Amino acid sequence: MRKISSLFLVLIVFACGPGKQSEEQAFLDSLDNLTLDAPMISEEVIADIIQQVPSPLEISYLLKDAGTQYDFNILNGPSNVSNYNSNFDKALNLGIYGTDLGYANIYEENQDALLYLNSIKGLANDLSIGQFFDFGTIARLATNSKNLDSLLLITTQNFNDINSYLQGNQRSNLSVLILTGGWLEALHITCQVAEKNPNNEKLIEKIGEQKIILDNIKLMLEFYTADPNIADLHKRILELEKAFAEIEIIYTYAEPTMEEVNGILVVKDNSTTTINITKENVGAIRQEVINIRETIIS
Amino acid sequence: MRQVINILGISIIALVFSAGFANAQCAADAQANACISKLQDGFTFLKTFKVDGQGGAKAKVEYSYVFSKDTQYFLNVCSEGTGTDGIVVTMYDSKRQMVSTNFNNGKFYPGLVYPCNATGIYYITFTFQDSQHHCGGSVLGFKR
Repeated sequence: MRKISSLFLVLIVFACGPGKQSEEQAFLDSLDNLTLDAPMISEEVIADIIQQVPSPLEISYLLKDAGTQYDFNILNGPSNVSNYNSNFDKALNLGIYGTDLGYANIYEENQDALLYLNSIKGLANDLSIGQFFDFGTIARLATNSKNLDSLLLITTQNFNDINSYLQGNQRSNLSVLILTGGWLEALHITCQVAEKNPNNEKLIEKIGEQKIILDNIKLMLEFYTADPNIADLHKRILELEKAFAEIEIIYTYAEPTMEEVNGILVVKDNSTTTINITKENVGAIRQEVINIRETIIS
Repeated sequence: MRQVINILGISIIALVFSAGFANAQCAADAQANACISKLQDGFTFLKTFKVDGQGGAKAKVEYSYVFSKDTQYFLNVCSEGTGTDGIVVTMYDSKRQMVSTNFNNGKFYPGLVYPCNATGIYYITFTFQDSQHHCGGSVLGFKR
């Protein structure tokens, strides 16, 4: 019996490494404004849905490739960071600023990128996830446009690490809010740029395609509607869903073909999608996104 | 004194057990991170995927991602062993129809380029064919 007790003691010592307890406590303390009720489904299922959401960087690259101009005025002002007091607001706006940072980086607007980085630092520290951002390295990389690849790599890795950490600590609700904010901002930027470039079909199509991601966002938020803040956000997303209702995405499958090019396999995708979306649909989506975003950033 | 000896003895046993267990585990995280440097030039990093077949106990490791039309994706495979160590990555569309794989005509390719023509949810499935370690990682990148 004495030996068994000793074994338990050893295992407890092994399980609780030095500093781990205080770190976890600090993290839990930071979640004061978020309901800690666990959702009805497993963290694994939520993680599966979370990982499907594409990076907002893909949209920023589309905007740059389409030849559209960088526009700081459509982004969330970095100084608004002082308005965010609850962890709900902080997590959503961390996602929003993450998208704004990526947009500024891709357009090589280094000064703006540094401002966003500073806002992100404040929010991340408040949420006790600041340790995942290598702010010094990011700031150094951001000062030289030759470092764009490294800059995008490190910022994406940092956000991925945050998501993994939050999911691993049963705090996927924060991860969901960061992703929701990031996605909403990417959609907002696309809608604003599309308004100024009404004949750019690629942008309009990209807005229509967001119907697929919207389904994921809605589903992820649904898991956490026990939290009144998330329940309210979920309701607003349902309004946005109505604006997307008429959009049709028609998928046609055709078998792919493959060929080897310099030792790498290159696939020829013969499948297609057709997006049926009108300018009225785009207008309705744009307005609904403005409405939701206003409640988040103000 | 006897109690101290007991604790010390059990500590040593626990250490030996934990070290042995760690060796048997798949360092899929490290494999995936090491794979980032093998991303083809011109592609922007998106995600890493851990491929842990649990020593053969797990036949399939699956992830999913929304791929976008008019975007090229690069997916590579890194392994603990030589080459891809029998790790096969296959992509399926949302209706589970195959859209690409790194195993073609009996050959394993360390990476594949997928120029997406249809936006939607895709499944990225890792399976093992005569794999020694059932352990690896993968990186997804994109370019327009």
